[in-house]
Amino acid sequence: MSTTELAPAPPARRRTTPQVRTPKPRGRRLTVLVGAVLGVGALVTAFPFLWMVATSVKPRSESVAYPPQILPKEPTFEYFVQLFQDLDFGRYLVNTLIIVAISMVGLVFMAMAGYGFAKFSFRGREPLFFLVLVTMMIPVQVTMIPTYLILNGMKLTNTLVGVALPSLVTGFSVFLFRQFMTTIPTEILEAARMDGAGEARVFARIILPMSKPILAVQVVLTFIAGWNSFLWPLIIANDERYYTLSVGISLLNQQIASNPSLQMAAATLMVVPILVVFVAFQRFVVQGFALSGLK
Amino acid sequence: MMRSRTPWVAGLAAVSMLALSACSSNGDTPADASSLTVWVMGDSSANFDTLVAPFTKDTGIAVKTVAVPWDSIDQRFTTAVASGNGPDVLQIGISKLRTFADSGALLPLDETTIADYPNLAADGFIDGVAGDATAIGGEVVSVPWVSDTRVLFYRTDILEENGITAPPTTWDELRADAKVLSDRGVDQYGYYVPQWDSSLPVIMTWGNGGDILTTDQTINFDTPEFEAAVDIYAGLYADGSVPTNADFDQTQGFTSGITPMVISGPYLANAISAAAPELEGKWSVAPVPASVDHTSLLAGSNLSVWGKSGNTEGALKLLDFLSTPETQLAWYAADGQLPTSKAALADPTLLSDPITAVYAAQLADSRLLPLVPSWDGETGKALLDALNSIVLTGADRASTLDTLFQATGDTSVS
Amino acid sequence: MRPRITPYVFIAPATLLLVAFGVLPILVATFVSFTDMNLAGLGDWSRISFVGVDNYSQLFGDAAFWQAMRNTGLFAVFGVPSVIILSLAIALLLNRSGSRFFKALRSFYFVPAITAIVAVSLVWGYLYNTQFGLFNYLLSLVGVGPVQWLSDPTMVKFSVALVAVWRGTGLNIIIFLAALQGVPKEYLEAAELDGASAWRKTVSITIPLLRFAIFFVTITTVIAWLQFFDEPFVLTKGGPLGESTSISLFLFQTGFSASKFGYASAGSVVLFAIIAIITLVQLRARRTDVDY
Repeated sequence: MSTTELAPAPPARRRTTPQVRTPKPRGRRLTVLVGAVLGVGALVTAFPFLWMVATSVKPRSESVAYPPQILPKEPTFEYFVQLFQDLDFGRYLVNTLIIVAISMVGLVFMAMAGYGFAKFSFRGREPLFFLVLVTMMIPVQVTMIPTYLILNGMKLTNTLVGVALPSLVTGFSVFLFRQFMTTIPTEILEAARMDGAGEARVFARIILPMSKPILAVQVVLTFIAGWNSFLWPLIIANDERYYTLSVGISLLNQQIASNPSLQMAAATLMVVPILVVFVAFQRFVVQGFALSGLK
Repeated sequence: MMRSRTPWVAGLAAVSMLALSACSSNGDTPADASSLTVWVMGDSSANFDTLVAPFTKDTGIAVKTVAVPWDSIDQRFTTAVASGNGPDVLQIGISKLRTFADSGALLPLDETTIADYPNLAADGFIDGVAGDATAIGGEVVSVPWVSDTRVLFYRTDILEENGITAPPTTWDELRADAKVLSDRGVDQYGYYVPQWDSSLPVIMTWGNGGDILTTDQTINFDTPEFEAAVDIYAGLYADGSVPTNADFDQTQGFTSGITPMVISGPYLANAISAAAPELEGKWSVAPVPASVDHTSLLAGSNLSVWGKSGNTEGALKLLDFLSTPETQLAWYAADGQLPTSKAALADPTLLSDPITAVYAAQLADSRLLPLVPSWDGETGKALLDALNSIVLTGADRASTLDTLFQATGDTSVS
Repeated sequence: MRPRITPYVFIAPATLLLVAFGVLPILVATFVSFTDMNLAGLGDWSRISFVGVDNYSQLFGDAAFWQAMRNTGLFAVFGVPSVIILSLAIALLLNRSGSRFFKALRSFYFVPAITAIVAVSLVWGYLYNTQFGLFNYLLSLVGVGPVQWLSDPTMVKFSVALVAVWRGTGLNIIIFLAALQGVPKEYLEAAELDGASAWRKTVSITIPLLRFAIFFVTITTVIAWLQFFDEPFVLTKGGPLGESTSISLFLFQTGFSASKFGYASAGSVVLFAIIAIITLVQLRARRTDVDY
């Protein structure tokens, strides 16, 4: 819903449908000013990204030219073509998508756990939750070998499930779900239970819909994590059949003399789908849920 | 998912996971005599497939190539050692050879093992890397594959403009020429010292006729030849002939002319041709400068057989095939990496390119860095930290070098 | 009555996976920290021996470790407040209007969070480069001499931290934006009737109602900065002379690159203990707070 959160509004008009408001002139001027500041900030923030995109279509001689040129003089798409020729792009893409799909299963697990920790009190809740936080605290390099041995013991090496499993659930996301679900009023859940709803139904019909903003954030996060997954595809796969895009692209990284244009093209290619997913889901991120009316 | 109407999301999720694991767990390919898995570094797997096609045709052994990114070989190798599941044949960068060999995961390639494979005999390869030169603890576990060396790159146009008609052949000449070139103006330099390159001070020491190894194979920097190398190294900075920032780009420095001389490897030649094709003919290469001995660094990659490979015989056959001069020349043509086979390096077509001829000559007079347990992580790092703190932060030379001698003194090759 | 088992059913799948792939490996790492395990030991367990606390005493006697500790402390002191304040401020401002323009801006702020690390290293390495970089080129246009962004011992810390701040804000902005949807509009409208200014409403109503999100962002940001790794790794490799080396990078360089797993594990356990203590303190401080 496109309402202006902080802009003053006539209190008589309740938030019903997207509406044209009539803010006071001072408020509108402030909004314009804020917009201008944010606009400049956005350009500065996104500059390195725009530079990446621009460099990906520069010939190599231009990408290392001095003084620097922002825009390519003779744009070329040869590096994108080269990527498709050198890499088994289609296969890497399919693998990456499968891994993203498997990670979405983890999203449900994490939402369930977040709900469990947020809205129930039970024996062992505090220590178990601290256990969840603990998993965020140790660098991945240390746990790489034990994790690999566990997967090897489960006969999951050289499978896509084995690739996705170690990062299927993260302490970070369970924590994020818990923090947000804590703010869902308990009375709503109690009312539903009074009406005879089972726990699974409460979760699916009340908790998940009310968590739309954070679910959208998590979908984006899960997508990014799956899309960029590198370490496990590399280690678990004993076969290039299971490589993902990020592994394929890191193959291009020569030890010293890499081609900046080619690497930028690869990075650009990787980031575009994430941007599409983000733009598609961001409207859910700021879609308010009908919370206030229930209080 | 968030719109799901089913109350049994979790159940569904569990079922779908089981289904996925069932349909994708086809396990490892069983070891048999008709196939080989080979790990090659970088993005050359397509080229490698083409290279070994004749081998498969002759022997009926299928070769499955797995490309491993350079940055990730440690993780890949470590987990393979942990589980025992490795490839059959793998490419190993020489700087990693000691660590990997120490793991005990590589098949010893002693003389009886390789007796039936004539191309694997040590005398077929350049001396610096063959046989005992890359033996770890007296045991040979690899055969040479591709080579790499360091030569002096210089801008003929800029040197001539400044009255330098021939590239420097000694370090003193280089220092003097660098001074002349850096006097061209503000932000102009004569030479570039990569602050991450631990081989440069060693090359300088070799050039002075010294070594950093004692006769009983332990590291020793406390020699007059190394002191003389430090004189040159520090002198270049003292003269203001080299850039002091760590993030200097050697390709841009060379193509822009800011640093018209640099010691680097063949990869720089490729980078120059790609980034500044218009400089063709305005630069050249020469052997590394030296007062005694024009010895340069020998680097590159070797090939090893995984100890627990189920197809050792096939692996050795493949090694033999890859060591033939024809295969190595084909690889140079396809992938641009220099051979290690003496016969391949003497090939007239290869030598017809004057720049490659300099590489080949330099390769004949080049040496490995000592195969200590961790050159990059410890010995080389200590060396660079000591030299860089002297030239960049003005640390006291005598005490800093003393610390270096102490820290590295008991490091042994065996 | 709700059956007692219900919460356990909800948390079981995630918790079991976290135990298998998070907790169990940590326990293994703790065990390894008392051994001399290296690559050889990994392949053949009979070559591993117990060394007691040798790894720990060696670590505490390592000057490079203390340098990395100091650097990490500095990074965290600079980075944590920067990330939290910047992302909260930008989220509040972005939330001011629902117009198309403001919506489009969100993507711009999110872009750094999704840029691949290889591109981050290339682009920022290029921007910072002393001779050929854009920053120094722009400075030269206004007559300022070159700054050694990544080579000066003091400057390098801020240069790498700035990149991490740049990368770290995007994700937190969208988390705050999501949290802002839970702020009941009635409160703000009531305050508006009472004549409260926009600033007053933000400070007195919005921010207190965001405390669950702020708490989350604070804990995860602190952990992220104590584990600071990517930016110095790709931009400077910890240099010059260790001036931008964080603890994680120190562990990676001395331990994992050289396959000294025992030593690296000991360092990781120390880092883990520091993070755990800091997080526990934050959790305790939070508990005194009233519930929503």
